[in-house]
Order: sequence, then C-alpha cells, then structure tokens
Amino acid sequence: MKQIIALAVAASFFAGGAFAQSGQVPDNLEKLSGFKTTGVTEFTFIEQGGDYAVGIEKTLERISLPDGFKIELYAVVPDARHMAVGPQGIVTFVGTRKDKVWSVTDRNKDRVADEVKDFAPSLTFSIPNGPCFSKDGFLYIAEQNRVLLFPAAEFFYESPDVAAFNLVAKGDLIPPDEESFNHTARVCRIGPDGKIYISLGQPFNVAPADKLDLYNKWGIGGMIRLNLDGTGREVYTYGIRNSVGHDFHPATGELWFTDNQVDGMGDDIPPGELNRQTAAGQNFGHPWYGGGDTRTNEYKGEEPPADTVMPVVATVAHAADLGMHFYTGRMFPEKYKHAIFSAQHGSWNRTTPVGARVMVTFIDDQGNAAIEPFAEGWLDEATGEYLGRPVDVAQLPDGSILVSDDLAGALYRISYTK
Amino acid sequence: MRRAILLGLGGLMLAGAAPAFSGDPAAGRKVANMCRTCHGLDGFARIPIAPHIGGEPESYLQRQLRAFKSGARRHEMMTVVASGLSERQMDDVSAWYAAHKATASLPAGTDPANAPEACTACHGVDGIALFEDAPNLAGETNIYIDTQLKAFKRGKRTHEIMNGIAEAMSDEEIRAAADWYASVEFKVDAATK
Ligand code: HEC
Ligand code: HEC
Repeated sequence: MKQIIALAVAASFFAGGAFAQSGQVPDNLEKLSGFKTTGVTEFTFIEQGGDYAVGIEKTLERISLPDGFKIELYAVVPDARHMAVGPQGIVTFVGTRKDKVWSVTDRNKDRVADEVKDFAPSLTFSIPNGPCFSKDGFLYIAEQNRVLLFPAAEFFYESPDVAAFNLVAKGDLIPPDEESFNHTARVCRIGPDGKIYISLGQPFNVAPADKLDLYNKWGIGGMIRLNLDGTGREVYTYGIRNSVGHDFHPATGELWFTDNQVDGMGDDIPPGELNRQTAAGQNFGHPWYGGGDTRTNEYKGEEPPADTVMPVVATVAHAADLGMHFYTGRMFPEKYKHAIFSAQHGSWNRTTPVGARVMVTFIDDQGNAAIEPFAEGWLDEATGEYLGRPVDVAQLPDGSILVSDDLAGALYRISYTK
Repeated sequence: MRRAILLGLGGLMLAGAAPAFSGDPAAGRKVANMCRTCHGLDGFARIPIAPHIGGEPESYLQRQLRAFKSGARRHEMMTVVASGLSERQMDDVSAWYAAHKATASLPAGTDPANAPEACTACHGVDGIALFEDAPNLAGETNIYIDTQLKAFKRGKRTHEIMNGIAEAMSDEEIRAAADWYASVEFKVDAATK
C-alpha cells in the first residue's frame, strides 16, 4: 500500500518531465498525531522458519560460548540493528539502517518469536536505527534527522495506525545540510534522570577543523540529552567520533558508551573504545585523538582539550564496537551482574579481520574494567568471510539476552542453565 | 581467438562476446578482497550504506574510484579505501566488478508507466542504465539513492547532468524516485570466482 502511494506520487511528480511542487507525500504523521486513520492497512510479514532459518541455525553451531550458555535463533529480522524490549515483555522493536522498524512477538512464550512484521507501516522512516523505551511504555525511535515517540506502543503496535508524535521534528535533530548515510545509526536510551540520551555520529573519518564549532553547537560527534517532552536539549558529551551504543550503569547511573575509531592509520592502531562519563560536558578527544591516546595526523601539531577523558577500555583496533547493555538479569551466574555485554560488528580494513563477536566487560569495585570474548565464531577464519555480524545486545525479562545481526538478518537468544 | 581472450581474463566466463576491459579482472579479483565486507565479492552490497557495484560500467567504476582518491567525491570510508589503491588496482578492480552481470526485474504488479519519467532515459525503468556514463540504480537502498541525490542537489557531489536534475527536485520527489528504484528486485550473476 505504501508502495502504491509512493508510486502514485512519483507518477504525478514526473508527469511531463516537470517536477511539480504541488505533489506532496501525504504526511501521515499529522494524521496519526490526531488519532486519525491513514488508510494504510497492510503489514509486511517476515517468514519465520524455512530454509533461511535453517541456514542461520547451521552458522550458530559454530558459535562458542562459556560453559552452560547456549545460543539459538530467536527471529528472522531483515537488517536487524538496535533493539528495544517492551517493559511489559510483549514485543521487541528492532531498528534498521533502511526504512523499516520491525516488531518481534513471541506470543506463546516458548522463547522463539512467532511473528515479525513492520511497525507503523503508514509512516516513511529514514534510517530508523535506534528504538528505546521509557519505563512507562513510551517508544522512541531515533532516525537520521527526527525522533518520534509512540505512547503505549506495546499495545497499539498490532494496528497499522499507531498514535505517533514528534519528539524532535524532521530537520531539527541536525542541520539538513549535515545529513549523511554513514555514521548515522543513532542510538537512544532513557537515563536515570528521566531524560533521553541520543548519540550523533559525525560523518567524517576525522572531523575537519572548519566543522568543529557547528558540530559542538549541535552535539554532532557527541551525545545530546533532552526532556521527554522535547524541551531542554543540551549537549551532554563532546569529542566522540561515532558512538553506536550506550547504557547507564545500573548502580552508579553513569553513562558508558562505545566509540568507533579512525581508519587508515594501520592495522593495529588506533584502538576502539569503551568510555565512562562521570559529568556533563566531558570531552572524549576526537578529532585530536584517533582512538585511545593515538594522535591523528590531521591534528598532530595541535593542543588537545586539557580535560580530555581517556577510554576505560581500549579494544582491539577496527573491530567496530557497537551496541552495549549492562546485565541486570537473574538467569546468568553472579559474576555477570552489572557486566557489560557488547557487540563487535567486525573490521573491514584490517589485513586479518577481527570482531563479529559478543564481548563481556567485567568492572571491579575500583571501576577498572576488563573485556573478553563471550560468544564468537561468526568470522570464518579460513576464508576471512563473515557469516554474521552482531550489532546490539538487549535483555529479555527472563534474564536471557538477545543479540541482533544485520548481515544474517536475525536475532539470537543466549540463555544459561546450570 | 575467443579462447585466448578467455584465458587472458583468467578463466572468467562471460556471456557472448567478451567485452574489452582496460583493467585485468583476474588481478582485480584479489583487490576485491578489500571490498567484499561492504560490496561483496560479486558486487552485491552486504551493508545498506554501500551501493551494489557488480555489473556497473567499467568506466563509471573507474571514474568514481578516481573521484574518491582525488577528493572530488568524499566519503568517510571510500576516501580511506581509494587513497590506498594504485591506478593499476583501480582499473583491475573496476574490471572485476564490471565483468559480472546485473539483472533487474520490477516487483510483480508494478506498472512500468509509473517509473520516474525524468530518469528513465538514462537509468532505465528498472534501474539498469541505458546511458553510457550512468550507473545502475536498481535495488540500491532507498536512503543511498536519496543521499546521492541530495549530495548532487547541494553540490557536495558534482556532475554536469545530475546537479541540474537534482537541484530541481524537492526532498519528497527525491524520496519518491529513490523508493521506485529501491523497490526493484536486483541480482548479480557472478563471474567465476
Ligand atoms: C567499509 C565499507 C566499504 C569498503 C571496504 C569499500 N567500500 Fe566502496 N563504498 C562504500 C560506501 C559506503 C559507498 C557509498 C559512498 C557514498 O555514499 O558516497 C561506496 C561507494 C563505492 C563506489 C561508488 C559506487 C557508485 O555507485 O557510485 C565504488 C566504485 C566503490 N565503492 C568501490 C569500492 C572498491 C573497488 C572497494 C575495494 C577496493 C571498496 N569500494 C571498498 C563502502 C565500502
Ligand atoms: C541524461 C542522463 C541522466 C538522467 C536523465 C538522469 N541521470 Fe542520474 N546519473 C547520470 C549519470 C551520467 C550519472 C553518473 C554521475 C557521476 O559520474 O558522478 C548519474 C548518477 C546518478 C546517481 C548516483 C548513483 C550512484 O550509484 O551513486 C543517482 C542516485 C541518480 N543519478 C539518480 C537519478 C534520478 C533519480 C534521475 C531522475 C530524476 C536521474 N538520475 C536522471 C545520468 C542521468
């Protein structure tokens, strides 16, 4: 149906070869904000099971995990990126770097999803990578240049028309001239202060000097936070290159985030990063540092900000650390309490590829952190080919975790039994 | 003679007469190991932000790689990739990707008359290029097409034909054209690996 609207509109635009300004894509957001129906009635359903699922299950036989853990296919979800598990445990929303958000439902609670369909099919999304939930069940979706909110999404998602509102209207998240496709996988989380925190990657390998003032003003190459009514926007974090995962420590409430570092400096530098922020406005060193304490060639002669905060964990270079989650469940052994599960998407420019695995980071009482592989085997070392590329980690109410994979187009569930 | 050409191409199986490539596809196959995580070995993209490049005209691929290398076209990843390639490698890898065959088909029930009229003379109804210098658009992610059109519109990417075309388009028209070509089913038939 959406297709048909798009086609009809395209036809009217291009009739006679002239670009008539009159034809507008119907702004269904206006209708949905006014609780009106849009006339769109069709969902896209994704087949579960079948040959495709069998292929993925075969890959999962290769995955190694610590004793007692097991990994299984939870759902086939095309282009699966960041996830938001509904607070009622009814549905998990999954973002993509394309134009869909998927809703994933396990109706019979056998811990395998039985229905995957697109969410709010009457809306036109652009890179809706980042869904997140507030405790009271509001779903937020951070896109390329907009943030929408959906009250009670867990109950209304069964209808193609869900009430939808702007948190940040299209074109107000960043100046439209600064839009890009790369480094635009935005992630959102609600902090312990009840504000929404949204990462905004900067689009360059190394941010150029003539952009820094503009970027700092908007929080591009940083993290912004705002109140859940859209007011009070401020830049919370500076000096990030491209963060694609953050979460709040369950005990201290501090913000932790991953950051992807500069390319083209060699196989083994600069390191990837896991960072901890202890106060508003801290600077994490980009573009003076390319990752860890490795200086970028572009800013070699320049004085970095005096208060630059170094990462808590330097990860292997180019592994692409993305989504992360602090474990608060009761299913896993005690030592995993408040550990960070994070995904490494896998390198693209290293002579010997690394990554495509799930990592775990243990944090001691002094705040020292140590990272180690938790689930690996998606990289076929013989051929250098990826069989899957993990993106994000989320936790189900039973304490098991979900891992998304945008290459295979799947969610996996990792559980533990003694 | 035909046989000699095939051997010269490192055993590549090509349908019909073998087109003459300025690069060496077999050597390009090795260079493509640097590209496969994003564009696949056969040029069918593996990540949404990267375009399909299998079966594109060789001259188009060469021109884009040189534009990334010179800085005329800028992209966070491709600028890094191209800066590390020699002239020879650029030609070879372009020949490798050009040697594959791209095919496209409209999804069932789509009326070809609804194709964006202003584009079809060069990019085809189904997004397989008809114009010498133009790339295929079939099956690219809609946001990729959208991003490139906006780059032409804002002068971040320059091309004498495309800048003028994109400047005349609203954001909604851009998205509608992008949605049309993105909806096309696209396939790359690999040359022998
Ligand atoms: C890390 C991912 C990545 C790798 C590795 C990579 N590319 Fe790309 N490539 C991209 C992206 C993303 C774009 C789109 C650039 C843009 O948005 O302007 C692109 C664009 C291109 C284009 C332009 C295509 C078009 O339709 O305009 C060519 C040609 C190309 N790449 C060739 C290569 C070759 C050859 C290699 C290997 C030597 C390579 N790429 C490696 C991500 C990659
Ligand atoms: C007269 C021929 C012509 C027409 C008409 C035309 N294009 Fe193009 N298009 C080209 C050429 C040539 C290029 C290659 C530009 C370059 O070399 O950078 C191109 C490039 C593009 C690209 C970049 C593709 C890539 O892989 O990066 C997009 C997107 C595009 N055109 C979309 C359109 C759309 C949409 C229309 C109709 C509104 C259109 N074009 C009309 C000739 C044309």
